[in-house]
Amino acid sequence: MAYQLYRNTTLGNSLQESLDELIQTQQITPQLALQVLLQFDKAINTALANRVRNRVNFRGSLNTYRFCDNVWTFVLNDVEFREVTDLVKVDKVKIVACDGKNTGSGAAE
Amino acid sequence: MPKLYRSVIDDVINEVRELFLDEGVDEQVLMELRTLWENKLMQSKAVEGFHTEEQQALQAQQQQQAQQVQQSQQQTQTQHQVILPPQQQAPQQQVIVQDPKILQAMNATGMSFLQSAAATAATLALPTGVGPYQQLITSQGQILQVVRAANGAQYIIQPQQQVVLQQQVLPQMQPGVQAPVIQQVLTPLQGGIPQQTGVIIQPQQIVLAGNKVQQNAQVMQTATMTTQPGQVSAAQVQAQSQQQQQPQQQQQQQPAQQQPPMMLQVDGAGDTSSEEDEEEEDEYDEDEDEDKDKDGGEDGQVEEEPLNSSDDVSDEEDQELFDTENVVVCQYDKIHRSKNKWKFTLKDGIMNLNGRDYVFSKAIGDAEW
Repeated sequence: MAYQLYRNTTLGNSLQESLDELIQTQQITPQLALQVLLQFDKAINTALANRVRNRVNFRGSLNTYRFCDNVWTFVLNDVEFREVTDLVKVDKVKIVACDGKNTGSGAAE
Repeated sequence: MPKLYRSVIDDVINEVRELFLDEGVDEQVLMELRTLWENKLMQSKAVEGFHTEEQQALQAQQQQQAQQVQQSQQQTQTQHQVILPPQQQAPQQQVIVQDPKILQAMNATGMSFLQSAAATAATLALPTGVGPYQQLITSQGQILQVVRAANGAQYIIQPQQQVVLQQQVLPQMQPGVQAPVIQQVLTPLQGGIPQQTGVIIQPQQIVLAGNKVQQNAQVMQTATMTTQPGQVSAAQVQAQSQQQQQPQQQQQQQPAQQQPPMMLQVDGAGDTSSEEDEEEEDEYDEDEDEDKDKDGGEDGQVEEEPLNSSDDVSDEEDQELFDTENVVVCQYDKIHRSKNKWKFTLKDGIMNLNGRDYVFSKAIGDAEW
């Protein structure tokens, strides 16, 4: 089972909201919606692994770190994200990272 | 990167087509899902250049027409300007309501109209950082305010005071979602309100009816909530108990509250303390017990200063509601630390920074703790 990690992204949230609307109007069942989300997990994991090929660097100060259930959660402050093309600065960013080695049994988000 | 998103959408839709058919769900619903999904993505502005060419042309056309209508009130509009059924909906900056009859017909389609049509149309005209807010211009030139919370619930506020619509929004439970929470009191409408969720639009009034109407009509809009079922029921229980305790008080408030157009409440979800304070002054004796139970905690805290006010670990969770929480979701290859120097080696990530989306296949970072 692929990581459900990516459900809390613009793409994932918009899908979840859309599914919720359809459930509210009873056009689909919650069970079907769940299946769609599982399919989304697979699709996004595959797409990221295969269709994306760019590198980013970042630097900042670490505010907090947490390692629990093999998931790292960091909060950084005053961070600069650098790609070849551009630079993005933020005051605060939260990084949630699941184990990247053999995606294993798919931690819930 | 818009291509990436498009390809993901395509993949997902194609893969679930079979699932839909297995469950006996019509292909049309699948298309509706796709449309809803794409519209939300477009509205989020997190992805640039997401529009198809066709939609861009449509948008440009509608913007022109919307401006024309603003100047003259009684133009005949093309079909584009009328609220379309969900499948054909394209984002619009203004929704021009031409004929009351059309609105009544739309009521027949139930709340889904409001959700998908108005919802997908709503947010383009917004100033950034403000909650979704849209204007409906009726054929009489009245300007009605439509407010849409991020959870999809719709509220229509009419400046003239035959009826003031207000509804109680159930608190949005999802982290990272910004939903201005509006608390409102519903004034009684003529006759009984049908026990259905729907928009009833009459020539000069627009009424939103929920499906739990009580005599003094504090209506909860339950059917259109997009919160999780478990959370909805919990919030329903809370709201219902509030309803029962405030029937008398609501009526007295209604005349006073009919005056001003509804303001967006942004300071706290599901806040009821202002109402209760007013009520207490008026009717302290009557509902003493109930109010005490409910308000004891709240009032005590407010008056004596929050007990956690001198804590040194600051609670940063309540930062300005409309700030994007910059989030990176990814996988880690290596996390290394030496003394207080941390090095991160990450991969396959999606970032949302300052409202925009980025992706990476690898990310390397340094930070000092």
